[in-house]
Amino acid sequence: MATEHLATLWHWAPTLGMGLLQNIQMSVGAIGLGTLLGLLVGLLLLSPLAPVRALARLWVQVFRNAPWLVLIYFTSYVFPFDIQVGSTWVAFPDWLKVTVGLALPASANVAEIFRGAVASIPATQWEAARSLAFSRGQILRSIILPQCLRRMLPPWMNLYAVVTMGTALASLVGVHDLIDSAQIAANTVNRSGFTVLVYFSVLALFFAYCYPIARLTQRLERRYAF
Amino acid sequence: MSELLHVLVGQLARLGLNYSFLLESHASGKLLDGALTTLWLCLWSIVGSLLVGVLLAAAVTSARRWLQWPARAFIEVTRNTPTLVQLYCAFLVLNMLINQSLGNANPMTPFAWVVLVISLHKGAFHAEALRAGIEAVPAVTLEAASSLAFSRRQQLFQVQLPLAVRFALPALVNNLIDLVKMTAVASAIAVNDITYASIMIWTQGDNVIELMILILAFYGLLSFAVNCAGRAVEARLRMPGYGN
Repeated sequence: MATEHLATLWHWAPTLGMGLLQNIQMSVGAIGLGTLLGLLVGLLLLSPLAPVRALARLWVQVFRNAPWLVLIYFTSYVFPFDIQVGSTWVAFPDWLKVTVGLALPASANVAEIFRGAVASIPATQWEAARSLAFSRGQILRSIILPQCLRRMLPPWMNLYAVVTMGTALASLVGVHDLIDSAQIAANTVNRSGFTVLVYFSVLALFFAYCYPIARLTQRLERRYAF
Repeated sequence: MSELLHVLVGQLARLGLNYSFLLESHASGKLLDGALTTLWLCLWSIVGSLLVGVLLAAAVTSARRWLQWPARAFIEVTRNTPTLVQLYCAFLVLNMLINQSLGNANPMTPFAWVVLVISLHKGAFHAEALRAGIEAVPAVTLEAASSLAFSRRQQLFQVQLPLAVRFALPALVNNLIDLVKMTAVASAIAVNDITYASIMIWTQGDNVIELMILILAFYGLLSFAVNCAGRAVEARLRMPGYGN
């Protein structure tokens, strides 16, 4: 009985693997886009101009306090199916919309991580550099940011694990990801033993991907502890 | 009340936002129902998650290995897998198995499954926060307690936990805000929460943006309320010399 189900699972393994790859693709895209956007917003958070700071703070507040699922629904219903670039229409697939939907909250979190890292550098360093006639931009570029990178790494990796787990929501808006593949497999085979097996395999796959990241994060945190 | 709503809808229409569905009793009734369901979901799972969190934290910090190990494993698995997958494992798998053995006598509704899964999921996060708090209690305090003949259980509930809660409170409030946002996954198994109600409404009309703004504001308000409650508790529990 059990071996029969395992054989069926082996038969479905390529489908599930492709689904997992789709999840990983979305997570990498979302963290990449989110990091770029987040660093930009984070820099704006440090801006000397009050209105710019207020806008950046609004961005962070809105996207940190919105449920991820709602943002994913938002991007998948609001964006068009395809975009016109020049004279050609470029398709805007569902998985890309989900990637953008996940990048929004990721960017807000990256901005906060960045702000936290900059704030953790003692103010005396700013003052010392200022007394050596560094400009604000020079201080940021050559003194503050190099130290921030190391401090940002553990929370950033943590965020990546969270974003990866967030990609599981993509199945709800029709992306053919790991969970969607598992549902198709469970419904096609339609045996309760196999259903149990396939869903717990999905759980195990996510765990196998996220747990090493979490452990590595802990190790780094301990090494960078001050 | 309805007068005010009419005026508000009229004003928003000028901004290009079509909120006229709020004036239909059908749609607004559905939304109100959904909002209430979300509120109940939050309340039940906040209570549930705190209970689970205390139990797990007690197990993880216990000296007994057979208690410590399963709790540790449960926390790691829960923290490193998506909530949606856990919900499916519970609702599509366990629920199916219960249905097969009990038939129609299955007492679990989708609502109950969501409360259970979110309580267990967030409970694991609470447990981690509380564990850090428990470990932050100075060893001398515990030695003093045991010299006063406190048993291990008395030490935990009368000395460690009251102090640990104070240390862990900011993290706990953070988790609870996350919990409020997490209740949106209930819509995945057709629990009629506010997200599900909005999906039902926008599939019939073309008002995605308006509904999005509405539910984002709703969740924002809910998180804000949790945050305020957390701050109030923090202020009430503040002890000179502990926490900040």
